[in-house]
Amino acid sequence: MQRQPDIDHGTASMTTTTPSPLGADNSRRQFLHRLGIGALVAGVAGFVAQSLRSLIPNVLYEPSQRFKVGLPGTLPEGMTFLEDRRLYVFKEGRSYFAISGACTHLGCTVKYTKLNQPKQVELSSGLATINHEFHCPCHGSKFYADGTNYAGPAPRPLRWYRLELSPDDGQLVADLGQEVDQGFRLTV
Amino acid sequence: MNFPQTLVDVWRRLTWTWQPQSEKESGDAVVKNLLLHWFPNKVSLSSISWSYSFWLGTVSFVLFLILCFTGLVLMFLYVPSVERAYGSVKDLEFVVSFGWLLRSMHRISAHLMVATVFLHMVRVFLTGAYKNGAAAGAQRPLNWIVGIMLLILTLLLSFTGYLLPWDQLAYWAITVGTNIASSAPLVGEATRFVLLGGTTIEQATLIRFYVLHVFFLPLGVFFLFAYHMWRVRKDGGLAAVDREDRSATPAPTVPVKSKTYSLLGITNGASVHVQTKGVEEEQASVSAVPHLLRRILVVAIVTTVLTIILSIIFTAPLEAPANPSVTPNPAKAPWYFLWLQEIVTVTTVSLGPVTINGALVGGILLPGLLVFLAVWWPYRDRSGLGSVGVWFAPERRRQNMVFLAICLLIILFTIIGTFLRGPYWNFYWPWESWPTTPVKF
Repeated sequence: MQRQPDIDHGTASMTTTTPSPLGADNSRRQFLHRLGIGALVAGVAGFVAQSLRSLIPNVLYEPSQRFKVGLPGTLPEGMTFLEDRRLYVFKEGRSYFAISGACTHLGCTVKYTKLNQPKQVELSSGLATINHEFHCPCHGSKFYADGTNYAGPAPRPLRWYRLELSPDDGQLVADLGQEVDQGFRLTV
Repeated sequence: MNFPQTLVDVWRRLTWTWQPQSEKESGDAVVKNLLLHWFPNKVSLSSISWSYSFWLGTVSFVLFLILCFTGLVLMFLYVPSVERAYGSVKDLEFVVSFGWLLRSMHRISAHLMVATVFLHMVRVFLTGAYKNGAAAGAQRPLNWIVGIMLLILTLLLSFTGYLLPWDQLAYWAITVGTNIASSAPLVGEATRFVLLGGTTIEQATLIRFYVLHVFFLPLGVFFLFAYHMWRVRKDGGLAAVDREDRSATPAPTVPVKSKTYSLLGITNGASVHVQTKGVEEEQASVSAVPHLLRRILVVAIVTTVLTIILSIIFTAPLEAPANPSVTPNPAKAPWYFLWLQEIVTVTTVSLGPVTINGALVGGILLPGLLVFLAVWWPYRDRSGLGSVGVWFAPERRRQNMVFLAICLLIILFTIIGTFLRGPYWNFYWPWESWPTTPVKF
């Protein structure tokens, strides 16, 4: 960059003991120039970063992953669908288990579909007769009664979640944060 | 006091910082006028022909303007809150005077815009208009990429738009859309979290999509559109002009002092960027004002009238309020996303023990591949200058075939998704009736 010598260059060199060559003056200007640009870039980057960071929530006002379902005895035999939580809770005699209603493909709510006649299928637990299945309305995935995917685009079985008994009032507690495998049963 | 004269003076003071004092200054004023620079001084007949471009780009922009105007009014009437969004849209339909028309026009122009932007892309491809012609410094491939970005922005605007009524369509579209995002490896879950503003679809989600819809995405379209148009002129106008130039018989000429037509011959000097032979020939070109302007106005009026008629015939539907526990059966995206819905349905693949979700293959990898192909294509296209601005140039037959095959496949999937899919996404012929499924159990 070509530059006319500054008027105050002479005075600057007068105050220093060694005459300042133009190069040294230039490098100081260059340094201040870079410092200025750098500060501007850092400032803008900081502003952008804090703006973006503010969009990532620190507190979620969402319902707890753990919630009470009710007293085990009050649940009807067979399936109960908890709409708000998209959770299918099953009662078979004294044992309980819960299967998620969220399709593992793209998260639509699968529908509990009663079969017209019982069907013999190979499940992970062995050969079993099932009376119902889960079908997804969005992309046509199909799951056996235990949530095993057998048709459509779903890549994996429906999730099973832990059930436990609340120590204070004996209610059934479902925990959507804790996935369990298909053999899980809570026996009361 | 001459009152009208005062009014004129006031108007002049408000609108002019300076008044021409001589003939020369009057000429400069014309040269410096932004509105007159919006267009070139002269345009070639081939580039304003109806049958070359079908004016699809202009139609798209007119639709964008209609969307801006109706959208601005809708912003006064719509409340982006989970509790009140559905109610405010319902009010638009049944309570607000002409609210139904506003909403319907907004929706129809959005649908039409998706269609015309797509068709515009098809036209540009089939005429080889993304190829550089003779103009120096032309960057038509770059402008094609800008066009692809505009198409993507148009789709994102539609997607964020149909979420706003907070009805069943909205809710399940966000569910599926954000789950597609979350299927991306590594960053997927984080992306979904940021998009939703949490882990569930709630108020934070609605306001995010709302701000994107009414501010960031339209702003993007506006700037990219401005750049798109500027590039068209810098790249030597429409590709049809290059075709014109080639077919014109070069007359033996002696070198003359050149001038730039865009400066009306007042200023000396020439710029290769704006010089083309064709437009300088009297028979091949006309003045932009009124000829180009008139056609633009005709296109704008016809588009607007058609939009209004269509919005009166096809009024905007409103589904039941968003209900997280009941997925509609079948749950269908709007028609322009149904090809994607069809693809994510059939692309779950199992490689031994590993199963890859169709959401990743059909929702991210395949569309990503299509965008990559589109961006890469103009640089791969090595056909000669003879196929610039020519419909179905013989030299480009094979690539036109491949491109059309991809387009037809997308259209075919769209048709299957729209007309041939019933409950549980099962296949039904149009004459087959769907089994009645309980809405709620």
